[in-house]
Amino acid sequence: MLSEKALAERFGEVVLPHLGDALALARWLTGNAADAEDVVQEACVKAHAGIAGYAGGNARAWLLTIVRNTAYTWMSRNRPRAMLAVGDLGDLDEMAAAHGTRLPDEDGPEASLIARADTAALEAAIAALPQPFRETLVLRDINGLSYREIAAMLGVPMGTVMSRLARARGLLVSELGRAP
Amino acid sequence: MTNHDDGLPNDPEGIRLMIHALIDGELDAAAALAVERRIAADPQLAAEHARIVALHAAVNRLPRPDVSDAFQARIAAIGVAAMAQQTQDEPAEPQQGAPPAQPGLIIPTGGGQRRNAETRPSQTRVLPRARRFGSFDWRAMAASIMISAVLASGATQWVMVNSASDSFAAAVASGHRRSLLAASPIDIVSSDRHTVKPWLDARIGVSPPAPDLAQDGYALIGGRVEVIADRPVPALVYRHREHLITLVAEPQQGGGTTAPDDLSSGGFSLVHWSDGAFSYWAISDMERPELDDFVARFRKAAV
Repeated sequence: MLSEKALAERFGEVVLPHLGDALALARWLTGNAADAEDVVQEACVKAHAGIAGYAGGNARAWLLTIVRNTAYTWMSRNRPRAMLAVGDLGDLDEMAAAHGTRLPDEDGPEASLIARADTAALEAAIAALPQPFRETLVLRDINGLSYREIAAMLGVPMGTVMSRLARARGLLVSELGRAP
Repeated sequence: MTNHDDGLPNDPEGIRLMIHALIDGELDAAAALAVERRIAADPQLAAEHARIVALHAAVNRLPRPDVSDAFQARIAAIGVAAMAQQTQDEPAEPQQGAPPAQPGLIIPTGGGQRRNAETRPSQTRVLPRARRFGSFDWRAMAASIMISAVLASGATQWVMVNSASDSFAAAVASGHRRSLLAASPIDIVSSDRHTVKPWLDARIGVSPPAPDLAQDGYALIGGRVEVIADRPVPALVYRHREHLITLVAEPQQGGGTTAPDDLSSGGFSLVHWSDGAFSYWAISDMERPELDDFVARFRKAAV
């Protein structure tokens, strides 16, 4: 059993170093920075309460799992309408098709065009991604989690993580490659 | 498209996933080599690879949200508030369903529930009465504070919690141990001190001397930021054979120079010294003589 002091120390070690990542994830899940702070604060309260259950391993992944769950609870409470699309993943293929995924053997845009994409265009493209794709992309490319950690967090097979990530990036590439 | 005999998927979708996995560093050396060969042999795959690399870089360049000092302090207060409440308790009535603005009062879920179910209700209910009717519960309180102090020192193994220097040592030690459990012991991977120093400088505005001691058998493999006593401090990571050495460098203001001091305990060797600009803590699971050798070489190189 750990004392309160040891638990408080552990909170400082496990949670505080990852606030930047927590805010980034919450910002992309909720869509804005102010809501992200609310969500992360709520998540940290839960993390503090559950710190005794942290059993080592990647602290960032542990905290981000709490942030993700908190974000969805928060959104279902504060803006239930936006949650309609989430949770029904059956028609992901249709969603992807509707967003104009190209076939892999089609010619894509030049890499240099993507490299030159400006911040606002890229952020808008990420924000427009269907939620399961956006979430996977953010966990991988912004939070830097491994495929295995993402699979564990989302409760899906690793192959699903890989295909969602490839879809997300494919959508971004075709969006950014669309000449203005 | 020809059939390859390299163990990779042959369908276009499958090979595309492998390109993503290559860029994400998810492939072992053999698979990475095979995918790189396929890319080299196929201009279409090469173009796809270049696009994903470009996108990856563009996403990496996106500005990250700032963790404002106020926000950091608010979160840090969650831990501190609950601790203060545990030892000192609150005169207020126990609240049901308190708002998140008072984190310490939330009845937690998950792992913490059992602990709180045992301790908190009895204290919050008993205490107001105890204050009115004399010192009866005072002794119980004192005992529980004693017990938590003993448990804290037992848990960290670096005893004497009341000394600032020793609790710093305890934090250094648990930081090192945690790094051994983490997916990666370092946040910035580089053997080049010209990469590690600017990275630390950009993160926390401090960069200690980071000599590469590879010729002496102590290779600089990277750095990370530790948070000790609510302050970020730079940590360098060196490798000596199979052992990792964490070197925490706490900036000093007008501090004196002190000779290396042995604080080893609990299976780790820990040496502390100061050079006026920084106060250094070197910790490793190496034997003391080896760590002393590292410290001597570092001090010589860092001058």
